[in-house]
Amino acid sequence: MTEILLRADAKTPVARSALGGIKWRGLLPYVFIVPPVLYLAVFMFYPLGRQIWLSFTNTRLMNPNRSEFTGLNNYERLFADPEFYMALQVTVIYSALAVILGVTVGMIAALALNRPFPGRAIVRAVLLFGWACPNVAASLVWLWMFNERSGVLNTIVTGIGLDRVAWLTTTQMALPSILLVTVWQVAPFVMLVMLAALQSVPEEVKEAARVDNADSLSVFRAVTLPHVMPTLQLVSLLVAVWSIRRFDIIYLLTGGGPIGSTSTLIVKLRQVAFENYDLGLASAYGVIGLILALTVAVIHALFTRHRLKRSQQ
Amino acid sequence: MPHIELDHIGKSFGTTNVIRDFNASIADGEFLVLLGPSGCGKSTLLRMIAGLGDITRGILSFDGRRVNEWTPSQRGVAFVFQSYALYPHMTVRENIAFPLVMDAFRKWYHIPVVNTVMRWKLMRRPDIAERTARIAEQLELTSLLDRRPANLSGGQRQRVALARSLVRDPSLYLLDEPLSNLDAKLRTQMRAEISTLHNRVRKTFIYVTHDQVEAMTMATKIIVMNKGEIQQIGTPDQIYSDPANTFVARFVGAPPMNLLDVTTGRGMVSIANGPSWRHEAAPDNALMGIRPENLVLNPEGDGPIPVEVSVVERLGAETILGCRILSERRDERFLDTDLVFVRVQGNPGIATGTRHALSYAAKDVRWFDRGTGAAIPHATALPNCA
Amino acid sequence: MTILTRALHALLILALVVFGGFPIYWMAVTALSLNSELYNTGQVWWPQIGNLPMLMADLANVPLVRWLANTGIVAVGTTVLSLTLGALAGYALSRFRFHGKGVIGFLLFMTQVVPEALILVPLYAMFISLGLLNSLGGLILANVGFSLPVAAFIIKGAIDAVPYEIEEAATIDNCPRFGVLTLIILPIIAPSLAAAAVISFFAGWNEYLFAATFLMDNTQWPASVGLASFIGQYETPLSAVMGAALIFSLPAVVFFLIIQRKIVAGITSGAVKG
Repeated sequence: MTEILLRADAKTPVARSALGGIKWRGLLPYVFIVPPVLYLAVFMFYPLGRQIWLSFTNTRLMNPNRSEFTGLNNYERLFADPEFYMALQVTVIYSALAVILGVTVGMIAALALNRPFPGRAIVRAVLLFGWACPNVAASLVWLWMFNERSGVLNTIVTGIGLDRVAWLTTTQMALPSILLVTVWQVAPFVMLVMLAALQSVPEEVKEAARVDNADSLSVFRAVTLPHVMPTLQLVSLLVAVWSIRRFDIIYLLTGGGPIGSTSTLIVKLRQVAFENYDLGLASAYGVIGLILALTVAVIHALFTRHRLKRSQQ
Repeated sequence: MPHIELDHIGKSFGTTNVIRDFNASIADGEFLVLLGPSGCGKSTLLRMIAGLGDITRGILSFDGRRVNEWTPSQRGVAFVFQSYALYPHMTVRENIAFPLVMDAFRKWYHIPVVNTVMRWKLMRRPDIAERTARIAEQLELTSLLDRRPANLSGGQRQRVALARSLVRDPSLYLLDEPLSNLDAKLRTQMRAEISTLHNRVRKTFIYVTHDQVEAMTMATKIIVMNKGEIQQIGTPDQIYSDPANTFVARFVGAPPMNLLDVTTGRGMVSIANGPSWRHEAAPDNALMGIRPENLVLNPEGDGPIPVEVSVVERLGAETILGCRILSERRDERFLDTDLVFVRVQGNPGIATGTRHALSYAAKDVRWFDRGTGAAIPHATALPNCA
Repeated sequence: MTILTRALHALLILALVVFGGFPIYWMAVTALSLNSELYNTGQVWWPQIGNLPMLMADLANVPLVRWLANTGIVAVGTTVLSLTLGALAGYALSRFRFHGKGVIGFLLFMTQVVPEALILVPLYAMFISLGLLNSLGGLILANVGFSLPVAAFIIKGAIDAVPYEIEEAATIDNCPRFGVLTLIILPIIAPSLAAAAVISFFAGWNEYLFAATFLMDNTQWPASVGLASFIGQYETPLSAVMGAALIFSLPAVVFFLIIQRKIVAGITSGAVKG
């Protein structure tokens, strides 16, 4: 993303006088950019700033007008609270596994679909279902599939002679179950993007490597992988950020339970705000989540800049 | 129809001067070619005349009125782009009619549905429809009117771009390297078509190119530019036969004018470590310029400049010979100078490695100052020296 | 390819198809099942088309049409507003140089990192004072904050690919300032606009958290909230729930499949549907 902005800046033509009278030239860009920016300022950045401010106050949801500035008090409470470390741990584990599993499965699917076979278009469409399906509908059908007594997953499990699994109601199984749904949603997206990247690998370079007697695995390692690496990094970033943000699926499937085992920072934020009415503390949870997401984005930006620099040398 | 005056025009992007101090006057009905290598500022100048780029310094006037601040449409110019800049989402008919439709466009037509309806109606307005059809016929586009640009060949796209610029009957046509994306054969054909067009409409054309053949064949007047400065203004004949400096001498003509690095004195001309021969009235400290077709190839010993042919380019109607000047000394090594090009008619069957002697007529020599490169005015009627 | 690798490849594809397609298939199968099968005798593995009339009858008891109408209003509103503002931002970011451009690009990117839950409470407070709580309009305004930047990035990327000379040609042809955008640029990038429209539309269509928080009145509920209200509630037959979920999913699936390739192009110029 940052990479895109950098590149776009380099080739932007100078605002030219042809566009409107000479006097307008300096102002014209603002005629275009101000409405959307104003909109975001009101409906995105003002609330965001307000929420960050709340994290430094003792505001309660039931009594929002009696709030006072309490400095870092909420953060002190947060860092003293084992539930916070639990939520942080869940968030990191969940996001990391979502990236690893989602990207791996998606990449395997992309490689499998990168060679022609009969019915490829249909297969491709079917594989995208999980990505295209709305969260609420996905939650409903997975809830039914996870159903302990009558769900299809337990039908299969008992069919092969094992005991029923409590998919969403035990601390050991809840997070893996959520991850299964996450991979179902995320892997198709990874596949879609990686497939496009794979198809843009120049055929001549691959052929040149083959002429040089490289086997298919070394062609993949020497030619294909470096070519798709930037895209792979980009989708990994996106999946990581989405996982940190993800709310609907977790909330609808487990509500964060059992015993907080699937409660990410964002799910916890909602619980603290709407069940404990502690807006200040809830905001502090949210701010930590935001910092986590930003960190991932910054790391990606640094990677990209490093690569840009290297390619310029 | 404007008489265009460029008065001390300059253009800077930040601190870099792209055009320094440009003065020129363009008469009505002229076919002016701005000729120069890429990056010389010729396109920038054309865009300033069009109103597509603002003018940093100086005054641009049409018929004595300052137009620096006018928009392109106020200036009433047509512009043909190198990339044609056709509207890809419109048919050929819509592309050609677009300027006419825009002339009739009102502010309230911007309302989404109104916009579509009104454009549909305008396209069918008798005067617009008829004018579009007539221009299309002139440029042999009638059978292509309902196609989109993506389905046209390069030459056809170029013709649509011309048609679109013609349709509003502008008084000034600006063409920015319009033929550079075409193949060689089509370029020759379009050159003739554009010349014919100019003869028919009798409007002012300003044509930017780096191709000296286009300039020589189409222009009534050429301005040769380099590094943002005018090198020479003149008719094609003047530019070719009397280049104002070594840049013009070497830029115009293929192969370019030969420039011999000689020392002069006491009625003699000599090349360092090489031959010397009589040449009256040769100025001091000068380069000797001779066009390849003005050099005569003689048998060995029968001329002042001994050479060995090292390159032969057979072009059919003529042959270009690249020759090395031989040392006068007994070892007869080549001198460390550029190849001297000689143009001979037909195919005389000369092989590389053969030795000859070159001669010339003194009236064909042009002298250039070795330091500044500027032409030294030549006295007329000098005796032949060969 | 040897027979072995070919067989492995086929097996892999089969596994992926089962994993990717089964939940949607199961939605359909469940929708066409009898409740007695679902909870007692065991679910049948294939869809029983014969149960369709029964499903229709059950669905008639669910206010699905009203929910979908609300969802439609939210989705259309989100799309129109996102595209209008996104086109302005995308055009400015693509064609102009101005002070603060880098900052604005960064802020647009920032919106994709912000969790919806994080601005939920301040928006809620703001909507109370603006009288936008419990209205679909407020919901649209909240959604656009997230879908506008996506639309802006897609549109910017598309405009970047349109040669600047085309705009200059339009200026020469006496096209008015704003007309360059509406008559030339936007029609040229129509396919990308369509992609941006689909993404915005289904961002509004699928949205759950804002809708569940801002809309108290169940006549205002969009389908996402309505469907989620079935969780933990056993009055409505499960087959009807799955039928409704399927109807709700179908437009999203169809349109995303149509524009999938355009989305990939959008991805590389900004980040999209999650």
